Amino acid sequence: MTFDNSPQTAADPSQAVSKRKLHPHVDLQVDRSWFDELQQRIGKNGPWDDWTLYQLAMEAEEAKRVESFEELQCLKTLPAVEPMPHQISTASKVLHEMGGRAILADEVGLGKTIEAGLVLKEYMVRGLVRRALILVPASLVLQWVRELNQKFGISAVAQKKEHTWGYDVVVASIDTAKRDPHRERVLGTDYDLIIIDEAHKLKNKKTTNYQFATQLRKKYCLLLTATPIQNDLDELYNLITLLKPGQLGGQSEFAANFVVDKRLPKNEDQLQEALSTVMIRNRRGDGGIHFTRRFVKNIPLSLSPEEKALYDAVTGFVKERYDESGGDMSSMLSLVTLQREVCSSRDAVFLTLVNLFKKTSEDSPIRPKIWELVEKIKGIKANTKAEKAMELVKEMNEKVIIFTEYRATQEYLLQFFRSHDMMAVPYRGGMNRGKKDWMMDLFRGRAQVLIATEAGGEGINLQFCHHMINFDLPWNPMRVEQRIGRVHRLGQTEDVRIYNLCTLGTIEEHIVNLLHEKINLFELVIGELDHILERFEGGDSLEQRLAKALLESGNDQDLQRQLSMLGSSISQIREEVKSTGSNPYAPKPDLLIRTDRLGTEVNP
Amino acid sequence: MNAKQVHKFVGRYLEATECSILEKSPAHYTVKLSPQADRELTNRPYYWSFVDRVGAEPETMSFLFVTDKDKYEASLQAKTAMEEKIEPQQQDSQAAAADAALARSFGFINGSINAPRIPREELYFGSRKLEQLFEAAKSNGSFVYLFQEPDKRGASPFQSTAYTAWLGVNMKVEFACDRKREEIHSFGVSLATGHCIDGFHERLLKAKLTPRLPANVHVTKNGISFGKAQTIVEQQLERKLKTYDYTWATEAAKRLEEELERIQTYYEPLIGHALDENKPAIQEQYEQRKAEIRWQYEPRVTASAINCGIFHMEGIE
Repeated sequence: MTFDNSPQTAADPSQAVSKRKLHPHVDLQVDRSWFDELQQRIGKNGPWDDWTLYQLAMEAEEAKRVESFEELQCLKTLPAVEPMPHQISTASKVLHEMGGRAILADEVGLGKTIEAGLVLKEYMVRGLVRRALILVPASLVLQWVRELNQKFGISAVAQKKEHTWGYDVVVASIDTAKRDPHRERVLGTDYDLIIIDEAHKLKNKKTTNYQFATQLRKKYCLLLTATPIQNDLDELYNLITLLKPGQLGGQSEFAANFVVDKRLPKNEDQLQEALSTVMIRNRRGDGGIHFTRRFVKNIPLSLSPEEKALYDAVTGFVKERYDESGGDMSSMLSLVTLQREVCSSRDAVFLTLVNLFKKTSEDSPIRPKIWELVEKIKGIKANTKAEKAMELVKEMNEKVIIFTEYRATQEYLLQFFRSHDMMAVPYRGGMNRGKKDWMMDLFRGRAQVLIATEAGGEGINLQFCHHMINFDLPWNPMRVEQRIGRVHRLGQTEDVRIYNLCTLGTIEEHIVNLLHEKINLFELVIGELDHILERFEGGDSLEQRLAKALLESGNDQDLQRQLSMLGSSISQIREEVKSTGSNPYAPKPDLLIRTDRLGTEVNP
Repeated sequence: MNAKQVHKFVGRYLEATECSILEKSPAHYTVKLSPQADRELTNRPYYWSFVDRVGAEPETMSFLFVTDKDKYEASLQAKTAMEEKIEPQQQDSQAAAADAALARSFGFINGSINAPRIPREELYFGSRKLEQLFEAAKSNGSFVYLFQEPDKRGASPFQSTAYTAWLGVNMKVEFACDRKREEIHSFGVSLATGHCIDGFHERLLKAKLTPRLPANVHVTKNGISFGKAQTIVEQQLERKLKTYDYTWATEAAKRLEEELERIQTYYEPLIGHALDENKPAIQEQYEQRKAEIRWQYEPRVTASAINCGIFHMEGIE
């Protein structure tokens, strides 16, 4: 029997509970229900329980007993996760110094989810939290559920139907939660703990999300955001008001005491002190947080004469179609894919050509042209890249992950490696969870090589592997970053080595050049790319712009020129982002660096 | 609880609930549950209500409980390595081809497809299954009525030994504000004399107990009522707790006051400046925040029973 200590029930002690004063500040409440039950059983002469189970019940309680106010008990119960020192110290600070209400504002990639999970688990182990609500963007719901279940052994449930609200730990999107019929259920519940992920989306006081969040009833509360101060100080004020109204004074006092201009704080020391009791911000440069280095090597390869012939033929074919279409971009993107596929494997092109063939009408003049290309494919006997990849893998003699964009290439590589007596396992987005986990286990165990088509999505954390081969490169830099993020993350103990296979004299050469030299993608700090792309992509994605440049340019030089223009506009943005932190509109570059310091920093 | 302790705990639970252990090692148990354990551990309330209504013979589940994952996996690997050595690839090539063909169409197939599936559960401190075992132990180990087994040696068959009935109770005491710690106290009150002992459970563990009244034993008449005994337990507990240091509570009360003041500085001007029509809503929010802060910080000590029983022990005390 535990005491339900929600605000309503605390007020009306039931009869089976006696209350007396122990100390001016504390009452002792004794639950007497055990005694009533015992008397009943004596009256009825049973039923009586087993002596061994009686002892075991006591042993279980002794094992679960929370010995001290301080120590983190949950660490003993988490074999599936090994938190970093800064995550542990953050969790203890939230628990012991902040009373369980805090903004966790670590920079991207430092594991805010782990910190929040630790806090939640610790409160559950201590019996201080039973009901918890986790509000996250819809796209992250399942990921949170999985992490809490797998890493923390917490039975979290994704909110799907109305009855799901009855579970103890529910993960839901705030947009669902605030709507009827859910709204009433949520606002009518006293939550022991509420976690809000991506909390910077709440910063505007006037939005329905913010107002909904203020109405939630909670004991403890965690707000997670990597960018607590994106635009102005008022937004920070609003976030803190959700947690601890009045922490920075009333709105007018706050304005008078701390704000010079929207983005310019004053009395920084005081502000910092006031913030330090509600906000924790770990930064990448802090002691104890250590990312290993990345080494990137481009491996230029010359195509074999047969491959080159195919590439040229395909390029000619694509150009022809483009000219015929009169510059219609939409249908052209798939044709550009053909060119990229040639650089990957003949299998990939072949599949696309076959599909294209099926789509064209029987009397189309394109059909014979496609056949010509297929004939060329037949002439190719070896794959230059695959052979190089094999050579690299043998040289490294360690676990390697190979990424490709194409299913057909993946299949080909699997066969190729197998025929050379090397154990390789596949990984792709279409696999179900169980199969993915199984492939991971194989890779962790016997297989030396993992061949993956998908990098996105959680669950593929490969810290135990530090070699990566980009068999071909996606045109979307975010996807490249995701690939790297699989191996280069917290917990990786080795320097990460990345190899880009790059065929000379093809579009691939241009792309590698752009991503590597111009964006310097491979050396960017984790999370930095977000900011750059956010600003760069005004409408058209980088992918689309690339395709356009490729098709429109008459010759190689022209293409070179267009790409270098793209490249320099990106590097320019990069410089800007670098100098202003995350805020593109900051009046002074040094300001954001200063506001960035405002949170408490934890040095474990 | 380390892996060894977990292993021992699980073994004792399985034995106490009469489960049949099919196989065991220091790192695992393969077990067919008894009906009692099945009801507690398998989350099949519908199945059991069906069995109860129809009176069918229940089919209980089997489990592989792994209590030490590393050790278990190591032993598995050693085992497969052994097997591979013993039968080196003498498989019929046709059968192998058939397997490969099946594998191509269906993916990996477990050869022993007809064998009953035995789900595997990792039991480590903090795992849900072990937590379920803890709960099962508690729900079937709450109220006992036991007798000490007399020391056989030297007992005359013509002499009756005097026994005293005790009310024994294990209590969990929780000290909580926004943080928490716990203590466990075990009290025994002699129903003959009202004498109260602390650490009663340890004393019970040293004795041999049985649910049946042993021969040649008589129980001394109770001198006090159950109600009186229960009051003695509470008084004893209270006396003990009063000697404790309550700095934590004073600090929590102070934090509580500070927090209340802080939101006051926020809400009072806000209410003051608000339009009349908005005032009730803000007032309500203010009240809610106050309730939350009390809920969060208010220091409290609560005591509840883990389990209890009547114990008949040798001697008059």
